[in-house]
Amino acid sequence: MVTRSGVAGAAGAEGRVVARFNAPRAARVEANANGTPLDVNHRAVALVREEWRVDDRWWTEEPVARRYFELVLESGENTVVFHDGASGGWYIQRGA
Amino acid sequence: MCSCRTYVPVIACLSIPGLELKAALLRTPTLALRPAALAPEPQGEPLIGPVTAAAEAAGVRPGMRLGEALATCPSLVLVEPDAAGAERAWEEIVRSLEDAGFSVETALLGVAYFETRGVERLYGGLEPALRRALVAVGTEWDARIGAAGRRFAALAAASVARPGQTVVVADEELPQFLAPLPLTLLPLERNRYEELEALGVRKLGQLAGLPGGAVAERLGPDGRRAWGLARGGVAARVRGRRPPAAVAASLEFPEAVGNELTLRRALAGLVDTALAHPERRDRFVRKVALAARLESGGSWRRTLTLRDATADPDRIRVALAPRLAELPAPVVELRLELVELTEPTGHQLELLAAGAEDRTRLRDGLRQVRASTGSGSVCTVVEVAPWSRVPESRALLVPKDE
Repeated sequence: MVTRSGVAGAAGAEGRVVARFNAPRAARVEANANGTPLDVNHRAVALVREEWRVDDRWWTEEPVARRYFELVLESGENTVVFHDGASGGWYIQRGA
Repeated sequence: MCSCRTYVPVIACLSIPGLELKAALLRTPTLALRPAALAPEPQGEPLIGPVTAAAEAAGVRPGMRLGEALATCPSLVLVEPDAAGAERAWEEIVRSLEDAGFSVETALLGVAYFETRGVERLYGGLEPALRRALVAVGTEWDARIGAAGRRFAALAAASVARPGQTVVVADEELPQFLAPLPLTLLPLERNRYEELEALGVRKLGQLAGLPGGAVAERLGPDGRRAWGLARGGVAARVRGRRPPAAVAASLEFPEAVGNELTLRRALAGLVDTALAHPERRDRFVRKVALAARLESGGSWRRTLTLRDATADPDRIRVALAPRLAELPAPVVELRLELVELTEPTGHQLELLAAGAEDRTRLRDGLRQVRASTGSGSVCTVVEVAPWSRVPESRALLVPKDE
């Protein structure tokens, strides 16, 4: 997905590519009827700070259709989760 | 005593239509009997807010364009919005419910959900508990309550209840109950309603009868969600809120102030006063609200959630100061509320402060890690497409063996 010519060149100059930075990790999210998260990995959501959509690469065979939420959990931790429209799964992601 | 009945949790929805108007009319109660409407927001579209029963009888509808409303009813009185007053009134209502033993989740101004499970035995059943909730709210707000096994159904039941009435919908009656209700109950954008009406779909039952896949294809995820709600929605649990902190500071000006510099100075003083409040102690501020009483008689209020909880007055000032430019009129009173405070552990600290000494230590540490774990264990972040909207495409982790 990220192996474009520029990417391969940058990676080749530095060494072997091991991972994508800020790759999403699967999360267990309980959401309400509107799709707003209420619980992330068994930790309750205190408030939703922001919500936005990312629709990209619709011209490829791997389109990206995500609904992101920036959340504050009851523990005080900030976290960003998204609902993937293609797989229907929830993911936690840093750097969003 | 043992009951053989399987208990199905009931979700109740308290609805107070036109709460903003009712709160604004507290200052001039005589207007409640005349054609009156909440004036449009000063910097928003010229659409009127909720209207009184007399205005509705004269043909004025909430959300109408101001010009059209005045043409329909020339005697229509416009009431200045009192956002801070409405917030305060709503907070009092929610607290009254909480004092009666209900755990309340607020959805928006004038709509709240609560479960009755914990208090049914206390009040002698579901209906007495709902009546107790109405008593707690009081009669002056024309509150109504709907109850059902699902959240959306509870909202729909509240929307058909008359003031002071409770409507309970059993699960088996749900499809018949929802079918004749209008689509406007669904959380859809205005053009979506029009699209559905153009297709001949005007009632929830008609939408629920369509195939889900076809609705999703035509209207996208929002339409699919609306279709799910038209069929009753899901039985999501009610999550009681955490009551807001009661730390506030206010400043009354001898005469109305419109000068931003003066307001900034006043804000600085308020931030210091609020942070010094003994209730705050060693907690950090997560959410603040800035409210003002305006010279014109109305009020203004903005809430702000801070990215990082903080007790640094400068950071709070910097975050709030731009909001002062949004004030629509000179101010006679400025008020700062610390709405949400964290526990001391809620503050996320920086792992390493930037500095030459720290960087040298870090480099030494990384060298030791590399020596003990082998090549490829220490990576560096290489930006490859920083412009990408997909976060994981912006950078790669590349081994740094030096």
